[in-house]
Amino acid sequence: MSDDKIFDVDSVTLRFGGVISLNDVSLHQNRGEILAVIGPNGAGKTSLFNSLTGVYQPQEGNITFLGRDAKPISIIGKKAHRVSAAGVARTFQASRMFSALTAFENVKIGAESHKGIGVVGAMLKGPATRRGEKASDAKTIELLDFVGLSHRANVVSASLSYGDRRRLEIARGLATDPQVLLLDEPAAGTNPSEKVQLTDLIRKVRDVMGVSILLIEHDMKLVMSLAERLYVLNFGSVIAEGTPQEIRANDAVIEAYLGSAVDETKGA
Amino acid sequence: MKQVLNNVLLRRFLISVAILAVLAVMTGPSGSTLTPTAGFTGSFAEHSSFFGFFETIRWVSFLFLAVVFFVVWTVWLSWGDRIKSGVNRAVSAPRAATQKRPIRWGIAAVLIFVALILPRVVTDPFWQAAMVEQIAVYVLLAIGLNVVVGFAGLLDLGFVAFYAIGAYTTAWVTGALPTPALFGIHMDPFFAIPIAILIAMLAGIILGAPTLRLRGDYLAIVTLGFGEIITIFANNLYGITGGSQGTALIPHFSLHIGPIKYLWGLKPVPYYYLTLIFVVLFLAAFSLLEHSRVGRSWTAIREDEVAAESVGINPLKYKVMAFAIGASTAGFAGVVTASQSNNIFPSSFTLSFSINILVLVIFGGMGSIFGVVLGAMIIQTASMYLLHSPPSGYQSSDLYIYLGALLVVMMIFRPAGLVPSRRRRREIVLSEAGEGHMDEVLTGDQP
Repeated sequence: MSDDKIFDVDSVTLRFGGVISLNDVSLHQNRGEILAVIGPNGAGKTSLFNSLTGVYQPQEGNITFLGRDAKPISIIGKKAHRVSAAGVARTFQASRMFSALTAFENVKIGAESHKGIGVVGAMLKGPATRRGEKASDAKTIELLDFVGLSHRANVVSASLSYGDRRRLEIARGLATDPQVLLLDEPAAGTNPSEKVQLTDLIRKVRDVMGVSILLIEHDMKLVMSLAERLYVLNFGSVIAEGTPQEIRANDAVIEAYLGSAVDETKGA
Repeated sequence: MKQVLNNVLLRRFLISVAILAVLAVMTGPSGSTLTPTAGFTGSFAEHSSFFGFFETIRWVSFLFLAVVFFVVWTVWLSWGDRIKSGVNRAVSAPRAATQKRPIRWGIAAVLIFVALILPRVVTDPFWQAAMVEQIAVYVLLAIGLNVVVGFAGLLDLGFVAFYAIGAYTTAWVTGALPTPALFGIHMDPFFAIPIAILIAMLAGIILGAPTLRLRGDYLAIVTLGFGEIITIFANNLYGITGGSQGTALIPHFSLHIGPIKYLWGLKPVPYYYLTLIFVVLFLAAFSLLEHSRVGRSWTAIREDEVAAESVGINPLKYKVMAFAIGASTAGFAGVVTASQSNNIFPSSFTLSFSINILVLVIFGGMGSIFGVVLGAMIIQTASMYLLHSPPSGYQSSDLYIYLGALLVVMMIFRPAGLVPSRRRRREIVLSEAGEGHMDEVLTGDQP
């Protein structure tokens, strides 16, 4: 069964001093799946993302990523840039662009980051360097077109709208040739029409590019329409797992989001 | 009293007087242990000429300047925006023109031509020597530090260390140190160039690899310490470096290829041309580097290291690379200085030297190669002018007061430098608007 998994998170615990951020979290994602992780604020969703991408190093447990050729790679102990090279791309909650660079340059950085460094080549600007530049340019143009930003290619990224920044971040992530794309609240700060476009784009990334999607989102409408399966986190633990229909009917989830009836009567 | 100070114009006038009073003290005579207040009283009470027109007392001249300052300030506040937009309109066409490639090449050709004929025009021996020792070498150092500070955004306060390493390597290779020379042969300084570049680069990597994990201030302090360590080594390792007495005679560059024989002697002009060749080479290499993958990655790291790492850039590798490139440039500058001045002393490799180079980079515009070159030339020429024909009361140690004041003024009115780099200018505009430059390490919702 492990062949069709792409992420396998096994009893991961992440602590900051005495604060437990992720408590014995186990979950998995299947290849080609659109998976969502939901939960109230502070549930540990972004900590999970940061653990999956090598920004945080959990103290216990294993994270296995089955990237290209389904070769299992342990994420824990790897630096973020190595995780990226293995095929995990991500976006950030508050979108983090290289704000002083244009949209084009942002994506191009993603497209060329996994090639060798080549300082001497860059200083001499030899034919190999020129070829590399051309290939990255072509890929960048293609990806900007894919996310629908080709008309804004030469705009400084800080002056893009929220929705456009989200798309740009997705393009930058895709430029690294990922197997899975982690989206941290992609719809935050976007308006309803941008949300619809974003939903279509995310689905297109999976359908056309074949990239699996792991999503954190607060917008329930978007999550329920997009995700094929969900995990619910609360206080650093997985409290539920299932299809959108199952989650909607789950008592534990309702309690986590709305508080239990018992608590309310006690509080009153 | 409070109500009087609430008057905007009066307050502005008092501030003008205060600023010019500081300037008067800065440029005034110095006191001594016997008369500690002489510097202050002399700054105001001494007789001096009123801008060459008539004899007067210093405070009259400075009060006049304060009034001028006050008027300019007031005019600027009410007309400044109009003046700015007028200037912008006037320079927008030439500025757009300089973006075009043939015009850029043309400007470069003109500048190189001017640089080539300069020694013919400037024949004063003081200035010919200054052009090499104080201007060309400093330009070289500034464009090297610009890679570290401007491109990669790393604050390096120990840049002098690599310069010293280059200089001492030259002394070693040419057999001017008490230690036996490399391979036991006294080589020509030309052979010291690759060796010094390599050793300085290695020193950069050895210092950088463990310390470039640190951020901002911490890195600055470590590099500061490294600069001091190298100076102290040079001073105290008497048997290896010659200690505070300096090295033995380091030979000049010489060339023996078949029938061609040339010796770079005591005259500065041949050194000027030699340095010029290397400055042009370094400039070309660095400007290609800036617009390459490497340059873009540096910008990405500088702007948002977490995001850069998430797209697969290894920040440590790129930072070490910037450090090594900067270090090797300084190493090369060390070779030129060592060979040209014949002797090197630990006392010339001080913290204030590192600061001086940093001032050149900040003044010119961090990350802007053209700006840094221009800034280095302007500041070095000005400080040489002050040394050559000092105004009354000027002492060479006063230089740093002026540089400090200049930087304060720059940071207020032109924070991105004289000729800002396009990326840096955007960053400053963005950070003033409260965007970009998110330096926090962690992202998102924290538990």
